[in-house]
Amino acid sequence: MIEVENLKKYFSTGILRKRHIKAVNGVSFQIERGETLGLVGESGCGKTTIGRSLLRLIEPTAGKIIFDGIDLLHLKKKELRRLRPRMQMIFQDPDASLNPRMKIGDSIAEPLKLQGGLNKVEIKEKVSELIETVGLNPEHVNRYPYQLSGGQNQRVVLARVLAVNPDFIIADEPTSSLDVSVQAQILNLMNHLKREFDLTLLFISHDLEVVRHMSDRIAVMYRGKIVEIGSVNEIFEDAKHPYTNTLISPASSLEDQLIFEDMKDAWDSGCVFYPRCPFNTVICSKKEPEMVEIGKGHWVLCDRVT
Amino acid sequence: MSLLTITHLKVHFPTQDGMVKAIDTIDLEIANSERLGLIGETGCGKTVLGMSIIRLLQPSTKIEGEIWYKGKDLLKLSEGEMRKIRGKEIAMILQNPTTSLNPVLKVGDQIAEAIQLHQGLDKRAAREKAVEMLESVKIPSPDKRANEYPHEFSGGMKERAMIAMGLACNPSLIIADEPTKGLDVTIKMQIVKLLKEVSRRKSMLFITHDLGVATQICDNIAVMYAGELVEYAKTEDVFKNPLHPYTQGFLNSLPNMGLKPIRGMSPSLIDLPSGCRFHPRCDHASAKCTIEHPPMVEIEKGHSVRCFLYT
Ligand SMILES: Nc1ncnc2c1ncn2[C@@H]1O[C@H](COP(=O)(O)OP(=O)(O)O)[C@@H](O)[C@H]1O
Ligand SMILES: Nc1ncnc2c1ncn2[C@@H]1O[C@H](COP(=O)(O)OP(=O)(O)O)[C@@H](O)[C@H]1O
Ligand SMILES: [Mg+2]
Ligand SMILES: [Mg+2]
Repeated sequence: MIEVENLKKYFSTGILRKRHIKAVNGVSFQIERGETLGLVGESGCGKTTIGRSLLRLIEPTAGKIIFDGIDLLHLKKKELRRLRPRMQMIFQDPDASLNPRMKIGDSIAEPLKLQGGLNKVEIKEKVSELIETVGLNPEHVNRYPYQLSGGQNQRVVLARVLAVNPDFIIADEPTSSLDVSVQAQILNLMNHLKREFDLTLLFISHDLEVVRHMSDRIAVMYRGKIVEIGSVNEIFEDAKHPYTNTLISPASSLEDQLIFEDMKDAWDSGCVFYPRCPFNTVICSKKEPEMVEIGKGHWVLCDRVT
Repeated sequence: MSLLTITHLKVHFPTQDGMVKAIDTIDLEIANSERLGLIGETGCGKTVLGMSIIRLLQPSTKIEGEIWYKGKDLLKLSEGEMRKIRGKEIAMILQNPTTSLNPVLKVGDQIAEAIQLHQGLDKRAAREKAVEMLESVKIPSPDKRANEYPHEFSGGMKERAMIAMGLACNPSLIIADEPTKGLDVTIKMQIVKLLKEVSRRKSMLFITHDLGVATQICDNIAVMYAGELVEYAKTEDVFKNPLHPYTQGFLNSLPNMGLKPIRGMSPSLIDLPSGCRFHPRCDHASAKCTIEHPPMVEIEKGHSVRCFLYT
């Protein structure tokens, strides 16, 4: 369904001294039709940037993105617009993605109107149907976002996304701002909808436990690179990259020398994880490791392992 | 011995839509050297409880009850007397360091200011102490960092700075309000470890909605729902033997416990449900639960619950 090859996105910041932030620094992955790929990593590692690049909400610096056989980066604006409904993104903060002055019903009707082809009565019917699909009550139609809870608003966002019949959805930390019991409701709903509508999903989160429950395969990201990718089982039972192990049992890596937050600048030569790695060698600081397939579909970016 | 004793505390906010019963009613004790976790969902009243203890609520707030600290009822103290306690005896480490650190003041100066205010040290000594505090929360090159502004700190560093500021005057009671919220796992674990270290031989009210974090730090856990406590137990008992259906539901909705949600939503604090406040969402609710409000009852030593299933 989706094939990403050597995707890069650099941002330049600073007015006097230009500096490049390598937000995404050469990542490759594929997502099969009907599959959920979990993308996990600490904040700032580049997850959202990948999501936004896939939809061309931002223009990647380099790389290749193939969606259902179509080379996205070579599409013209118009062709891209025609493709838009098939690829949708859900963001972390539902309140920010809904128009505060629009009633819930109108919010859900909006994408249907934009798409065209339905008359007023049909749109109304479709809205009621969507409201029910995402577990809201008919009376919510006439309310405003501020009158609903965060969890309910995230359901509205889901209804809006489903309105255009997408094939592929990128969910970017869709439950990070919600309480655990509400998070459980929304995640269960997403899993249910995924099956019902036969969706392909890129599920982004910083919470490995959440990703575990939502995904078929998991990609672990660190500072612009995917350092390991494999099935849920491989990641949890047979993780090979030292960083993946840190995420799985954070308590075991609590040595005080690990106050790595200080190092704001990206490590420019060698392995990205070198400064934090408990097993690093001199070579790791100089030679950039390459992604190697150590088992079928299980890829690791670490020279010591491969 | 008990350091803080809260009895029959009610905190209500008059609003346009009606009276918000944020706390109604809480009885709670924190012993010397006890680390008590307060858990519950957003909006159940955790922050308001913390703010009532250090009396930082707006004047229009309606407060009833008593909060005894070292022989004084804090609710009866004048603002002047309270100022001597706030920060010095009882420190609150607030949720969201981004808004509670002053963006235009250097981090070191902010901490030094707090020290000067309470300990009567001169500027130079306060400044030295501030650097010392930054060092104690393991901020690398603290003397350099003290000269930086909050925006130059990462999320985890800001939280460390907040903790340093809270501890600067060596308080007996620390109220920490969701200090790990929004932090990445590895950084979260470092902050947890730090809080555990610095709260040794002190009392702490640790407010969180992250049960995993609470278990790492706390001796006892109080579970709050819609303005009142519904369960209180030793930390391990909350996990091994949760009694209240809300506590059970809360645990089951965690990702590593199966992601089974509690149906329905938290109630409005203006229009609280009759009887047991949890009954509209409870699978065990009987007719009695819809009418009568269950009392908090101690079922085993140190394990109390507010539920008719056990009485
Ligand atoms: N528009 C932008 N301009 C400059 N830097 C950006 C921009 N968007 C993101 N970044 C930087 O790129 C990096 C990755 O960000 P992001 O993809 O949002 O990470 P994540 O979603 O994993 O938290 C961060 O260092 C961030 O500061
Ligand atoms: N100043 C205020 N005026 C009116 N309502 C308030 C005020 N402060 C808090 N509340 C309400 O009190 C309830 C408890 O809030 P809070 O203690 O912040 O919850 P939490 O458990 O998330 O910390 C919420 O419903 C909140 O909206
Ligand atoms: Mg992001
Ligand atoms: Mg709060």
